[in-house]
Amino acid sequence: MAGSALRRLMAEYKQLTLNPPEGIIAGPTTEENYFEWEALITGPEGTCFEGGVFPAKLIFPSDYPLSPPKMSFTCEMFHPNIYSDGRVCISILHAPGDDPMGYESSNERWSPVQSVEKILLSVISMLAEPNDESGANVDAAKMWRENREEFNKKAEELVRKTLGIPPSE
Amino acid sequence: MSTTTAAAAAKMTSTTAVAVSLVLSSCVIANAFRQKKQFYPSVVYICKSNPSMAIMYMQALVAVYLIGKLTGKLFFGSLRPAESERLIEKAWYAVTETCLAFTIFKDDLSPKFVALFTLLLFLKCFHWLAEDRVDYMERTPIISYIFHLRIWLLLFILTLGDLYFIHDAYTTTMAKGPSVQLVFGFEYALLITLAANAGFKYILHAVDVHSDTFWESKAVLLLYLEFFIGLCKAVMYVVFLIIMIRTYTIPLFAFRPMYHTLRNFKKVFQDLVLSRRAIHNMNTLYPDATSQDLQAIENVCIICREDMTAAAAKKLPCNHIFHTSCLRSWFQRHQTCPTCRLDILRPTPPTTQNSNIPAPPTSNLGRTVQETPLTNAAPSSSATDNSRGSNTSNHLHVSPGQAGSSGNTYYNQTPLQYQFRPYAFQQRPISIDEVNGNNNDNSNNGIPEPNNMNESWDAFMNAAGLGGGIRLPSLFNDMPGSSNSSNLPFTNIPQIPLNLPFVGGIAIQPPNIPPNLDTLTDEELRLMEQNTRQGCLARIKYITDIKCMLDAAVVMMNHYSSACLVAGLDSTDSNLNSETKTSDSTENDEQLETRPPSNVSSETDSNAGSGGGVTSSSSGSEDQLLPEETEQQRVIRLKRLEKFGSNSM
Repeated sequence: MAGSALRRLMAEYKQLTLNPPEGIIAGPTTEENYFEWEALITGPEGTCFEGGVFPAKLIFPSDYPLSPPKMSFTCEMFHPNIYSDGRVCISILHAPGDDPMGYESSNERWSPVQSVEKILLSVISMLAEPNDESGANVDAAKMWRENREEFNKKAEELVRKTLGIPPSE
Repeated sequence: MSTTTAAAAAKMTSTTAVAVSLVLSSCVIANAFRQKKQFYPSVVYICKSNPSMAIMYMQALVAVYLIGKLTGKLFFGSLRPAESERLIEKAWYAVTETCLAFTIFKDDLSPKFVALFTLLLFLKCFHWLAEDRVDYMERTPIISYIFHLRIWLLLFILTLGDLYFIHDAYTTTMAKGPSVQLVFGFEYALLITLAANAGFKYILHAVDVHSDTFWESKAVLLLYLEFFIGLCKAVMYVVFLIIMIRTYTIPLFAFRPMYHTLRNFKKVFQDLVLSRRAIHNMNTLYPDATSQDLQAIENVCIICREDMTAAAAKKLPCNHIFHTSCLRSWFQRHQTCPTCRLDILRPTPPTTQNSNIPAPPTSNLGRTVQETPLTNAAPSSSATDNSRGSNTSNHLHVSPGQAGSSGNTYYNQTPLQYQFRPYAFQQRPISIDEVNGNNNDNSNNGIPEPNNMNESWDAFMNAAGLGGGIRLPSLFNDMPGSSNSSNLPFTNIPQIPLNLPFVGGIAIQPPNIPPNLDTLTDEELRLMEQNTRQGCLARIKYITDIKCMLDAAVVMMNHYSSACLVAGLDSTDSNLNSETKTSDSTENDEQLETRPPSNVSSETDSNAGSGGGVTSSSSGSEDQLLPEETEQQRVIRLKRLEKFGSNSM
């Protein structure tokens, strides 16, 4: 019988396909490997990322859901909680006891109760409300705090880039 | 996109490197032959010339690389990006450490040792890849026969190679004294543990893949395997360190992997110990989920998202239910409740208290009261549940879509509680009206049915609420009969129930209604019999609940009596007076003789007279008294419990 991780991922894939949440598409890259997913996330409305469609990939550990997956955006991103190489830094993706930034309380951490859907929804809300205390991208955090206009402009450029529209100027 | 271009670029550079080295070495050979014309002199010429040798060494490295690629293709097919990434990362560490090792053995440095180190690195790469491949078995639904064949063959060859080199290093060291062969022997010994690890894992995975049912103990076996491999490695590192320090110097190059190994071993050891404790707790203390519990949470285990059966599911102290096997594997990582993160090994006192009271299997009332102490605040309690469910949204405020669903589950679990209270409030005014209107004969109509515990409890609660919304025990202590009844803050009887329940009800925390004790399972009874703190707390809780109900009954009796006094009713039922007198003498004053008869109150009160006396005398100091009770007292008390239980049914 297939491993429990595989069966859980299949169940989640089915759930996401049957009842896709708004603004999220996600699924395994190939049917042969359920532990590497691709996801498309739309920028939340009313924010500077509105209208953008951001591709990301999720890598699941073999003991999922006991350990959290790793998520990274495969497009260029500029956001306080996203490293410049695309890795997403939110507490839901960190196992209890593993705290890269040293401030997260354990009840925000990963537990098997979480799911791909919750991760992606959390990422959407992260796009809407960056947490400038956890500076995965310090430049972005600084700009978000001090120069919101420029941040918005930069985000808009990114949105245009993901949609394949040339920059505004 | 960027990764594919990077990979393509890497491929380009590697092909050009191979081509350049080929061209260079053929140039060197061609040049040698052109000058010396014959085979032997040209070989000597190449060996004598340093630049030519450098190019030949480079060519040899390239050849090793090509052979590696070819063998890799043979055994693994094409590598996945994640695999090659990890391989490159580990290889860099290995190369750095090898360079460090050369500093210690600089006297031995010769082409032969470089070749041996290259071979070691080469074999290491295959061990890592084999490990990755075996782990990959868990991830893919499709495992072909060729996969099994490749793994078998690979592990066999690797083990043979390791054994050969260990033997070689051993004989050399024995014959010629310590040399760089020590390091080789040690490295190959480590590699053989890697191979063994991969082999055992492969066997476990293969058995799991071929079995039709979920193999529960696999996770435990994997943890034990990890523990033993970690132990072997840790012992090896320590031995190697000692030998190296005694013969040469401190082996700096081994420090990084040694630190990693020891840290991993410590973690595995901790996991093993803690998880064993948590699993032991789970198996002994926590009850199996009942089918009613399962229905309340839609019967899905939130860890694996599959259906649960009552036999294979456990309920944690926090009332969250999961598959036993899922919990077991989670406890190997963290000993907390997956939903609310209650620490299983160190539960907070109030939760344990509640948890270890065996919830009555026939009624979910006991549990609902535990979950929401402020029972009147139904909306707010569901709101807190929602917020608890939404802790998924890390540090952000937007709660993810489904986050509320677990909160809803809580709410669904407790419908009874929210329904019966308002119902009972409505019931009460009628009953008083009836008492007023139909003076004598129908006086017990308004009292809720005695065999419906929920309603009768609410009747009690309302009666207590008339006392001004004080918590029941204190109310009881304040109430020496007649003075209390004279203090009652009402004169107009029919209005009382309409006004007061909402004033008083909020402050009152209704206790659990003691279930019918006959229905307790053996396990639950055993829990209560224990002399541990939990058993004692469970008993105290039962006693407290009973005391609360008795207090409420007494208060209600007082209200009835005073109400009757005010209304000028006469006692018409003389046969009940004789029964109630016993309690009157201990609990109430003589005015109670004139109260109207009622089945519930008289029954409860007679119990209060016989059993409640002891309980009430110890009110306020139970916590100190109960733990020291003698066996005899306990037997008496259990009998009392039984009596109460059968009466209230």
